[in-house]
Amino acid sequence: MPAPIPGVGNLKIRMDIKNVNINNNMNTKQSTPKVCIIMPAYNESAVIGPVIESLMKELKKTNYLTSVVVINDGSQDDTSIVARTCGAYVIDHILNSGAGGATATGLSYAEQNRFDIAVTMDADGQHSAKDVIKGIDEITKRGDDLLIGSRLINNKGMSKAKIIGNKGLSIITYMLFGIHSTDSQSGLRIFSRRTLESLRWKTSGYEFCSEMLWRAKQLNLRISEYPVETIYTDYSKSKGQNNWNGINIVKNLVKRRIAELMG
Amino acid sequence: MSRYFLLLLLTSPFILLSILSALTKYKLGRSTKRRLVTQLIFWGLVFIGLASAESIYVWLFQHNLTQTEPLSLFDVIQITAIIIVFYVANRSRSKIEILEKRVQELHQELSIRLSVKK
Repeated sequence: MPAPIPGVGNLKIRMDIKNVNINNNMNTKQSTPKVCIIMPAYNESAVIGPVIESLMKELKKTNYLTSVVVINDGSQDDTSIVARTCGAYVIDHILNSGAGGATATGLSYAEQNRFDIAVTMDADGQHSAKDVIKGIDEITKRGDDLLIGSRLINNKGMSKAKIIGNKGLSIITYMLFGIHSTDSQSGLRIFSRRTLESLRWKTSGYEFCSEMLWRAKQLNLRISEYPVETIYTDYSKSKGQNNWNGINIVKNLVKRRIAELMG
Repeated sequence: MSRYFLLLLLTSPFILLSILSALTKYKLGRSTKRRLVTQLIFWGLVFIGLASAESIYVWLFQHNLTQTEPLSLFDVIQITAIIIVFYVANRSRSKIEILEKRVQELHQELSIRLSVKK
């Protein structure tokens, strides 16, 4: 009997799970892929509740077997309690290990629980639930291995400083690793089963975004992008990466590149 | 014994060890071809530089490109120490990286397993 999917919180989805249990054949599985939505979170108790609720509301409208998993990265506030109350499955990190570490935990969980697709999204509410579903639809349709939700294809609502910072990091990612991406730092990413099984990276901070693309390229995975909208609130503006963080990311990426060459 | 020869004698074991370690890692599938080539070029250049240090010095001196004194015993010790530091630092860094990765994986696995029990 397949393992129960934690974090599933609506009747329609539960009925689908029942169907899969009964009709445990390939066709049924292919028509309703198991999707794990991973939200790395650090001290996000102020906003994570509405983010999960709006996501679950949108997910109810789809036919996917979904599970919302919050990786509480050692938060000092009530992130874990709020997320659990809203119906998400919560994995508490004992130590704060950075965005890269939290994302790796989420993807490892998705792989271990044999999800077909995994989605990572920010917990600060800057990604819309509709874009998440659009991404799942796209990866199912296109058959890509890694799909990136690019905020810069249509950068409406993004401040000039953020545009410059993100474009700069994408250029540096290209210079260091030879990967062209319009938004190398996007937190909204969709992973296929093949990617879940093979993709690993070494950095644990925000620089993992670029390193992940590099590793995917080394593995010859099919990477593509789709446009997403960015919802900037005062909260997300204060929480997101600023350009000073960007400098730190560049420093760590250069270090990673040199270390990789030296053994 | 020539000081240049002494320098080569003292440093070459570390250079050879580094090359051997790079080759072993590649053969065991723990390293990429690109990384192997970079390491071979790096340590190869260090070896060539040390092996031809006397000739380079003589050539530079004859063409008035350097006015420094020939290699002293202190220089030999200093250069050997630099090579050893390079070797040790590189080994330590790669060991720390392996440990870091293991701790990270342990933390991940522990968090996932503990979350199931809740």
